[in-house]
Amino acid sequence: MTDDLKENICDETLFSAIFKRHSKDLHNFLYYKFGESYSPADQVQDAFVKLWENCGKITPSKAKSFLFTVANNATLNATAHKKVVLKYQKLSHKNYTHETPEFILESDEYMRKLQHALSNLSEIQRTTFLLNRIDGKKHKEIASLLGISQKAVEKRIYSALKKLRKTITEI
Amino acid sequence: MKREELIKKWLDNELSSEEFKLFHKLDDADELMKLSESIKAFQIPSFNSDSTFEKINQSINPTKFRSKNSWTRQFLRIAAIVVIGLGIYTYIGSLDTRISTSIAEKTSVILPDASHVLINSKTDVSFNKNNWGNNRDIKLEGEAYFKVSKGAKFNVRTSTGTITVLGTEFNVKHRDGLFEVMCYEGSVNVNCNDTDQLLMSGDSFLLLNGEIIATDKENLKSPAWKNNQSYFKSMPLIFVFREFERQYKVILDYQLIDTSQKFTGSFAHDDLDLALKSITLPLNIKFEKLKQSKIILSSE
Repeated sequence: MTDDLKENICDETLFSAIFKRHSKDLHNFLYYKFGESYSPADQVQDAFVKLWENCGKITPSKAKSFLFTVANNATLNATAHKKVVLKYQKLSHKNYTHETPEFILESDEYMRKLQHALSNLSEIQRTTFLLNRIDGKKHKEIASLLGISQKAVEKRIYSALKKLRKTITEI
Repeated sequence: MKREELIKKWLDNELSSEEFKLFHKLDDADELMKLSESIKAFQIPSFNSDSTFEKINQSINPTKFRSKNSWTRQFLRIAAIVVIGLGIYTYIGSLDTRISTSIAEKTSVILPDASHVLINSKTDVSFNKNNWGNNRDIKLEGEAYFKVSKGAKFNVRTSTGTITVLGTEFNVKHRDGLFEVMCYEGSVNVNCNDTDQLLMSGDSFLLLNGEIIATDKENLKSPAWKNNQSYFKSMPLIFVFREFERQYKVILDYQLIDTSQKFTGSFAHDDLDLALKSITLPLNIKFEKLKQSKIILSSE
């Protein structure tokens, strides 16, 4: 990447480019992992402030892993692994005329099951799975975000999927 | 494990169209699609990256972020230093020059117009060098002898009165309760209590405790203290003692003596014993030296 032409990131334009590239991923990652209770937007803010304070020591290519580590650590200290229940929005069903009340009831039931199943996933499984399914990230991208191998990502997502289906059918 | 491979590829959106057909033939393909579709409902509440970046900018030291205009800031800094420097320079230049003497110390000053000021002990003199040519003003508290070169009006201001001259030699003595102006050459105008009095050479003006005392003409060329003597003529003794304490570092205890009696005579500034004798002998006063430079005076 062209990033490493510079030795550090103490430069306004570079810093803001880094923000643009990573802030949303970082935010979503924190949200999937710890839920809403630990206000991911604030964590993102703190992580970037820390990044700027240490800008002299960090090369552009290291910025991303610095951000994820800082945000992750800060959140870990406070959350103490409480159960994360993510909210879901009502999917905008198109106005299908054939939607029977039973169908709506059924799909509500399904969403509740899914929510329960998601909160039963491990943090790692949930994070990778949602980054893949909701943000549409490729395995390779997730691997580079989390600093793990592509194979590991693949395994995690697959196991998450298996566990989800198992929990849903069990209820 | 064909099935697992397919699902993994599907998860990574890597299925080719052929594989996609195969995937659809899986008995749980619909179930998987439904799950994947429903998961999207768990999408995050929107993240406002602009406002977050704004907040980050605010918490980051704002000066660091203004590096673009650094050269203007640098320039402004230098300009500010220059302005402040000029300000201080002018301010110091406009300050009064101040000269003070302590007990038994005499000094002389030459003013910007070459006028000469001889300053007696325990005296404060201050003046402003700026615009000296047009505005010759000097403040005095104590006693000083002036030899003024010709020029614009020369004012000596004391809290009791102002002495105005054009160019002469004169002595001003301004001590507690005593205001004396002695003119040695030319003429001197004394303004005191809103009345003007013109002194010619040899004249003197004496104000004792607010009362003007008539004095005779003197024929001295310069004040006695210029030659390390203090000269008094019909002066209450208290003023003599005070002058004595200004010339010698001693404390006189004169509680036992009538200090209102008049004294005429002089004392020297460089010999304590002789000076003491020259005051006490004519008035029949005994003196006794104690430690800590204290001297007790009593009538015989």
